[in-house]
Amino acid sequence: MINLLAKKNAIRRCKQGKLPADICGYVNTFAGATDIDRPLGEVRYIVFDTETTGFDTAKDSVISIGAIALNGTRIKVEESFEVLIRRDSVGDSNAVTTHGLLLRDLHEGRDEKEAVKSFLDYLGNSVLVAQHADFDVTMINRMLNKQYGFELFNDVIDTASLAKRLEKGPYYNLAHKSGEYRLDVLLERYNIRLYDRHTAAGDAFLTAQLFQMLLFKAGYAGIKTLRELLLK
Amino acid sequence: MPSNTIVERVVADLQKYPPFDDLAPDVLQDLAESISLTYHEEGEVIFSKGDSLKDHAFMVMKGAVRLFDSIEGKEVLVDLCDEGDIFGVRAIFAHHDYVLTAQVAEESLLFELPVDKIKHLLETNPGASLFFAGAFAKSVEEIEHTLTEAFDVSQRLYREESCNNFLQNETLEVTPVANVVTCPPDISIREAAKIMSDRNIGSIIIVSPEKHPLGIITDTDLTKKVVSRPGSIKEEPVSSIMSSPVYTISGGKTIADMVMLMVKTKLRHFCITEDGSPDSPITGIISEHDIITSEGNNPAVIMKAIMQASNRDQLKEQRDKTENLLRIYIEQEVAVHFISNIVTEINDAIITRAIDFSLEELEEEEGRKRPEIEFCWLSLGSEGRKEQLLRTDQDNAILYADPPSEEAESIHEYFLALGRKVTGILQHCGFVKCPADIMASNPVWCQPISVWKGYFSKWIVTPEPKAVMHSTIFFDFRPVYGQAKLAAELKQEIFGLIAKNRGFLGFFAKNALQNPPPLGFFRNFLVEKSRDHANEFDIKARAMMPLSDAARVLAYELRIPEFFSTVERFKRLQVLVPGMKDLGTEAAAGYEFLIRLRAVNGLVNKSSGRYIKPETLNKIERQTLRNVFSTIEKVQKTLNLRFQLDYIRD
Repeated sequence: MINLLAKKNAIRRCKQGKLPADICGYVNTFAGATDIDRPLGEVRYIVFDTETTGFDTAKDSVISIGAIALNGTRIKVEESFEVLIRRDSVGDSNAVTTHGLLLRDLHEGRDEKEAVKSFLDYLGNSVLVAQHADFDVTMINRMLNKQYGFELFNDVIDTASLAKRLEKGPYYNLAHKSGEYRLDVLLERYNIRLYDRHTAAGDAFLTAQLFQMLLFKAGYAGIKTLRELLLK
Repeated sequence: MPSNTIVERVVADLQKYPPFDDLAPDVLQDLAESISLTYHEEGEVIFSKGDSLKDHAFMVMKGAVRLFDSIEGKEVLVDLCDEGDIFGVRAIFAHHDYVLTAQVAEESLLFELPVDKIKHLLETNPGASLFFAGAFAKSVEEIEHTLTEAFDVSQRLYREESCNNFLQNETLEVTPVANVVTCPPDISIREAAKIMSDRNIGSIIIVSPEKHPLGIITDTDLTKKVVSRPGSIKEEPVSSIMSSPVYTISGGKTIADMVMLMVKTKLRHFCITEDGSPDSPITGIISEHDIITSEGNNPAVIMKAIMQASNRDQLKEQRDKTENLLRIYIEQEVAVHFISNIVTEINDAIITRAIDFSLEELEEEEGRKRPEIEFCWLSLGSEGRKEQLLRTDQDNAILYADPPSEEAESIHEYFLALGRKVTGILQHCGFVKCPADIMASNPVWCQPISVWKGYFSKWIVTPEPKAVMHSTIFFDFRPVYGQAKLAAELKQEIFGLIAKNRGFLGFFAKNALQNPPPLGFFRNFLVEKSRDHANEFDIKARAMMPLSDAARVLAYELRIPEFFSTVERFKRLQVLVPGMKDLGTEAAAGYEFLIRLRAVNGLVNKSSGRYIKPETLNKIERQTLRNVFSTIEKVQKTLNLRFQLDYIRD
C-alpha cells in the first residue's frame, strides 16, 4: 500500500516536473495499468545481483550491479547489464577478496547517480528477481533514496524463497536451514554448472539459469500467472 | 551494452565446440551477444515434423535431444544430440518446414543461435561456412541435419594431425651404420679382434668375397668363446666362432618395425643387404644400441629382462614397467595394433618364463619329472585374441596329447600341478584369477586333446543358448607355449564339427547379437543401472563384445585357421567376404578405437578400464563412439542376414 502511494506520488511529481526528467522514464513505465494476471511466460523478468563493500545495509555501499533479462522463459544475452560504481573505498579486505574488485577498478566506474539511472532505464517495470532479494533491493533503494528520494516500484521475487516454496511448500521455515538455500547449494542441487562466482553479472547469469528452472517447476506446481507467483 | 562478463561466459561455452573453437574473438563475441538460453524438460517437443522453420538453430549445452522421423506412424530415430551438438540447421539453408521432430530426451539447456547471425558468419568465415554447409548439403532434401557428418570432417582433420605426430615418432627410419666393418671368414680370431679394438667397434661382420654377410662376431662372442677358454684358439679362423646366419633385412625400416623385430627375434644385430636377403651384398647394420637410442622407451629392453629373469619378482617388475610403456604409447597416440603386438609379446614371454620356472620347480623341488608327452599352454578370451593391454583376469588352459591310459592319472596330476604353479606366478605378476575359474589350475580345463575335442563337440552338437554364451571364451584359444600343433589340431576338429552341425553357427551368431547396438551415446539409455557401476558405460559389453563376437562367428564359419585378434579377423573377413570390404575396415578401425579408449580409461582409473564415466569423454571421443555404434549395427545386420536369424526362435 505504501509502495502504491509512493508510486502514485512519484508519477505525479514527474508530471509536475518536480523529479528530474532523466529519471521519469523509469517512473512512467508504472503509469499504465499492468496485468498481474498475465501467464508467467509473458512476463519480462530482470535477474540481478549486486556486489557491495560489506553486508551492513546501513553503512556499506554498492560497487557493482549485474543483471540479465528473461523474456518469459528465454534468457537473452543481448539484454544483459553490468555497471561499476565509482567509490573512494572498496570496503574491508574480506569483501575485496570476495568480489575481487580493486580500488583501481572502481575509480574507473561511473558515478552513483548515473549508474543507478542507467539501471532504472534498463529495468523499466520488469519483475525483479534476485537471490536473497531483500538485501540487494535494500542496497539499491538506499542509493535511490539518496539520489532521487524514492525507492524501486518493481515487483520482486526472491529465488531462495521461491525454491523453498516449490520444494517444501509455502510454510516451511527457511530460517532454520538457510544453508540449503544458499546460491551455490541451489546451483548444485539444480545441476547448474558453476564458474567464476562472485562477480555481480556472473552471479546474476547463474541465478537467471536457476530461476529459469524454477519457473518450470512453478508451472508444474500449478502456478500459472504472475499474481500466483508473487502470492498477491 | 550487454554485460561483458556474461558475454565472455557464453563465448567460453561456445568455444568448447566446433566450429566455434576456431573463430576470431570479435566474431564469437558478436554471436554470443545474440544468443538466447532456453531450458527444457524431458519429453518436451522443440519442433515437430511439418512445423514451419524457426529463426534460430539450436546447440545443446546440457542434456540431450532426440531427432526422429515418423514413417507410417512409427518413430525412426535419426540422431541423438548431446553437449556441443547443433541441430535444426535446416532453418539456415532451407525454406520449407522441418522434416524431423526434435524432442528433449533429457532435461536440457539449449542455446538458440539466430539464423541471421549464422548466415552472416557463413559469409565472413570460410571455415564455419564449410562446417555448416557440409553438414547440410549432403542430404538437404532427406533429413534434418545434426552436423554429425560435418563433424566427421573436422574429426578426420584431427585424426590426420594426431597421426602426423605419431608418424614423427613412430615411423622415423632408423639410420643404419653405413660403413660396416667386415672381414673374410678365413682370417684368425686374433686378427679380427685387433680390427675391432683398433676401430673401437663392438662387432664385425664376416662376409664372402661378394660381400654377402655370412656371420657376425661381437664383443660378447670374444669374451665368452675366446678369452674364457684355454688354448691357442685365437689363431683359429673367425668362422669357427661367428654367429651364423645373420638376420638380414632390407633398408628403410622404421623404429616401430625394428622394435617389433627385436622383440620377436630377440636378436641384437640386423644386417641390411641390397635386397634384404643373405644372398646380396651388405649395405649397413643396425644394432640394438641404434634402436634403443632411437627411442627412449624400449620394449626390447623389457623383453630382454624377462628372458633373463631368474624369479617371479623380476617378472612382476617388468610387467609393471610395461604398464609405463603402455602409458607412453597411449599418450603418444601410437597405433593400437603396434601397442597390442608389443604387449602381447611381453605377456606371452611372461607366461613362457612362468612355465619355465614352474617346470624347473617341479623337477628340482618336488622331484617331478616332466612327462614325455606333448603339451600346449593356451591363452583364452581377450588374451587369446591378443587384446589384453591392461592386466585383466587370467583365462587359460592346458591341452596335452592323449596319454597311455595307465599314466592318464599321473600325467593329469602333473599338468594340474604345473597349471597351479603358473597361474600362481601370473597372479603374482598382477593378472588376477578368473572369477569363473577358467584357468589351467582347474582340473576341468587341464585335459588331454580327446577330452577337449569332447568339450567342443558337446558345445557344437547340442548348443544351448546359455552354454554357447559361456563357451565363447574357449573359441578364442591361442597356443602360447609348447606344441602349437595340438592347438591347430583342435581347431581343425572344431571346423569339422561345425561343418557337420550347421545349426550351431546360427546359435553362435544369435549369441553375438545378444548385445544390440546402442542407439547413440546417450547416458540415459546406455549407462549401467547396477549399484556398483551406476551411471557408467560398460564399454566391454556394450561396444567391444558385439564386435569381437561377430568376428569370431565369421572367422569360424569361414574356417580361418590363424589364432587371430578381432582386428586381424575383420581384416581377413574384408578379403574373404565380398560384402564386407568397407565394413571390415570400418569395424577393425572401430575396434582399435575401443581398445585404446578402454586402455586410456583403465590407466587413468587404475582399473580394467571396462566402465567409463560418460562425462569424462571429450567431444571427439563421444562422436567417434557414436560412429562405432553405427558400425556395430551394420555388422550385426550383416550377421543377421547371413544366418537368417529372424527365423531362429528361442
